[in-house]
Amino acid sequence: MSGRLLALILFAATIVFVVIGTVWPLPEAVVFAGGGALANDTSSPQAALRSFGDDIHAQAWGKAYFSLANRAQFTLPQFMADMMGYYPNLRTYSGLDTFEIAPVHATDTDAEFHVKLHWATVVGDAVDNRDVHVVKNGDRWQVDWPFTKQPVLPPQVIPVNYLRWDVIYRGAGDDWGAADVEQPHVKIIDMHPVQRAEGTFIMGELLNEDVVPAYVSVTATLLNKSQQPIATEGSFDKISHLLLPKQVTPFFIKFADVNLSQVGGVRMTPFSTLIPASADPVIEVQDEKLDTSAVPSLSGQLVNQSGQIANVAHVLGTFYDQNGNLVWVADQYVDHALLPQTPVAFNIHIPEDLAHKIASQRTVISTFNMGGTA
Amino acid sequence: MLFPEANVQKSESVVPHAREPQEHVLPQRAPVDRVTAQRPLPMSLLLLAAVAVHLPLLLMKLPLKSYDTNQHIFFASHYLHHWFDPWNPKWYAGFSQMTYPPLPQQWIAVVSHITGLDLAYMFVQLVAIMLLVVGVYRFAKIWVSPRAASFAALGAVFLGSESFLVYSAGQLGTTSAAPLYLNALPFLYDWVRYGRWRAFLKGAALFTAAAAAHHATLLFGSFFFALPVLALALVERNEGEEMSIAAFLARTISIMVVVGAAIAVVLLPFWIALIKYPVTQTPIPHASRANYLLSPEWGLNYFVVPYGALILALPFIFWRGAGDRRLRPLLLGFWVAFLVGLGGTTPIGHLLLGRAFDVITMERFSYWATLLALPFVGLFAQEIIASFRTRAMVALAALAMCSCALAVSWSTYHPADAADFKVDSSAAWLNRDGHDRYSYITLGFGNKISRLAMETNAPSEDGEWNSGRLLPELTKYGGAQLTSSKYFGKAGLNALRAILDHADHYGLKWILVRDRYYDPLLAFAGWRPVDSLDDKTIIIWAKDGVPPFTPVNAPQMPPHWQGMMWGILPFGSSIVALLVLLIPERRRREEEVIDTYPSGESLVPGRLAS
Repeated sequence: MSGRLLALILFAATIVFVVIGTVWPLPEAVVFAGGGALANDTSSPQAALRSFGDDIHAQAWGKAYFSLANRAQFTLPQFMADMMGYYPNLRTYSGLDTFEIAPVHATDTDAEFHVKLHWATVVGDAVDNRDVHVVKNGDRWQVDWPFTKQPVLPPQVIPVNYLRWDVIYRGAGDDWGAADVEQPHVKIIDMHPVQRAEGTFIMGELLNEDVVPAYVSVTATLLNKSQQPIATEGSFDKISHLLLPKQVTPFFIKFADVNLSQVGGVRMTPFSTLIPASADPVIEVQDEKLDTSAVPSLSGQLVNQSGQIANVAHVLGTFYDQNGNLVWVADQYVDHALLPQTPVAFNIHIPEDLAHKIASQRTVISTFNMGGTA
Repeated sequence: MLFPEANVQKSESVVPHAREPQEHVLPQRAPVDRVTAQRPLPMSLLLLAAVAVHLPLLLMKLPLKSYDTNQHIFFASHYLHHWFDPWNPKWYAGFSQMTYPPLPQQWIAVVSHITGLDLAYMFVQLVAIMLLVVGVYRFAKIWVSPRAASFAALGAVFLGSESFLVYSAGQLGTTSAAPLYLNALPFLYDWVRYGRWRAFLKGAALFTAAAAAHHATLLFGSFFFALPVLALALVERNEGEEMSIAAFLARTISIMVVVGAAIAVVLLPFWIALIKYPVTQTPIPHASRANYLLSPEWGLNYFVVPYGALILALPFIFWRGAGDRRLRPLLLGFWVAFLVGLGGTTPIGHLLLGRAFDVITMERFSYWATLLALPFVGLFAQEIIASFRTRAMVALAALAMCSCALAVSWSTYHPADAADFKVDSSAAWLNRDGHDRYSYITLGFGNKISRLAMETNAPSEDGEWNSGRLLPELTKYGGAQLTSSKYFGKAGLNALRAILDHADHYGLKWILVRDRYYDPLLAFAGWRPVDSLDDKTIIIWAKDGVPPFTPVNAPQMPPHWQGMMWGILPFGSSIVALLVLLIPERRRREEEVIDTYPSGESLVPGRLAS
């Protein structure tokens, strides 16, 4: 083979390989390239919406914004705030993990989709549902983004009158929790092991019987028929760790690889320690609605009654049957900051097979302030 | 001198190159000038150039800003204190350092007795760079004239990929194994082509030492570097001293068997660990696998910076490499390494490497590709300097310096860690008042976790050596360091949550946080801020009720005999290599080196004629 021919073959093969790798990128490469295309595909409503989602995934905010049909209605910073929140919240530093597109209707000039955006937040998956309109402009399709305006409250003064508990420590070198004082009295008032497809669950409720606030957690150890330990797990974030006096929190502990039939006993270990706390912010639950129909859920609205912003809220729902027995515990993180006096919706999913047993519920809210604690 | 061929000035300067183009371009020069123009650059000058360029940078400890340097120093610090016990409890609640070939780190540990760990690292890295210059010269001399080879060696001093790996990536294993390997290849050629036993011994010793420095270099180097050399020996079997096919096969197989057996023994604990605990964890995304056109920022990082001005030489490499029968094996080796080094820009890496594509990073392939390109670059330099003299030298020097400067400065423009901070206060806090009875992790510390692990006695569940981790919470999700969880998206955050969920199991009480992003998770999961450091830029969170740390992974702890092997054989292989290299080399007969190198005139007649 002549040298020139070999050089041309190698050069041509290199170009072909690069073209193949670019037109049909490897999954490993797509991770870094958003949607994995050099230019956005706007040839169909689905393609335009998918390109838009890829841009959001790649956090190419400018590219996503300038692809919108209705971008004249809001600025790029407003668009970003609509996606990530105007105030620090769970979504502020999250990234779009995946998105699902479900067509609702389509014509030659416009189309409607239901879009489910799965955001990877620090506390887990946060799902944002949007109904998105896509319109045809000339020969290209563009997303008409359903921009949500941020409510602006009038200036006002909110009087606060809440309880607060401080703890005096021995000195600066004294580690938190090491103070030699009697721990608050807490008590497990209910506990049920449940077998589900995902494993064995231990659900229950914990009461702070004391007159001081307590930091609490619960650990469960499953014992086999010979009363030997099988596994130990903690409540992690399926509990409200801060309990004010006489407050009750549900807890929920998952044993992924254990079948209930193996279990001969459960050893519960509640833990409590004294901590400083305040009753602020007070979060009110409004319009609470238990839906046990086809897609069972507990929904409602959270209203921050204080004048401070609560950046992250965690809603724990405890569900009971007609006799008041514990049936299920579920939770949801609210991915929008709770502004004073501004309702924010929540929706907790309930397993369908348990929905018919549920007759009542109780909701516990815990919050986190950036720079504060839960 | 360890590599006798490197002392080339005396022997080669008198060898006339009948087909060298200088005859045409320098007709009016004095004979002395003509001889000088054919001489290779002296090795002393090449090594001085390497020292002049890299010694100041290393004395400034520039590699400490790179991704992996602190990890190598962390490994070395363990060898310093526990030479025969490779079980390191400071990461992943305990892991075996036998999951990574130890030679460079063990040398750091040895040298650190005199210089301290940081400077020992710099010393070992400098030695590796100097060995690279020698290795490139010797490797290139297989393919091109000594003068072109000396230009190639000078190019190695300024090679963008070398500076990129040294100052940005911190890949000491790769940058120390490659020079050993390159230095072994001429011995391989001499053994296979001429059956010289001294070459056999020296080559085998160097190959084994190279494997003790970095296993992947040997594995992939066999394909990219050794196969072309073997192919060349085969192509040239009828030139000069004849070699039969049977002799070729026998010599090739014999050295393969001996080197394979030596490597199997020297790295036996590594193989045992690999077989017992294969790397089956969920792949971690790495930007070197990106498509460099679809992700141009990574194209800049993994292609433009490592290749630098070599990109301009690519047409020459293809044209000249394809045009000469001798150079074709080298061209093909370069081409495959080049394609694999492009990561996800082409499907070749994935096709050739299979699952390994998702485990190893691709920048090392670009490094190897540039090393394979250097003989061509030397040839190119030789020809244009012969034609254009000073103008060519100035242009080449400018391009080389720009390539080197870009790669060296890249760690500043594209730092591994956006923030530079000290971990002394964090280590001091962990070491006092019995805090080190519990384990800890950090959040937002980047690659400072290696430095912190060196300075503290407390164990951690986090770490930077992903292939060494066995905790199921870490291997399941596809995130890398816990301290940088958020950068790995859902996978990283899932791994972090899983570890926090099992805090009691691991005695994980302390979390040192330098990134407020993680605060909501810690708060809702039951941790509380208990202290702050460095003007409240580092907040220490604690969880109550956590039992003290007890060592885990006990089944993975290597037995004592493996620790002894690990402490003796890999380091011993380098000592053996040094001793074997002291055996004097029999001088080559001049006819073997005369007139076998490609020259511009012989390939493209009249091309360089003035």
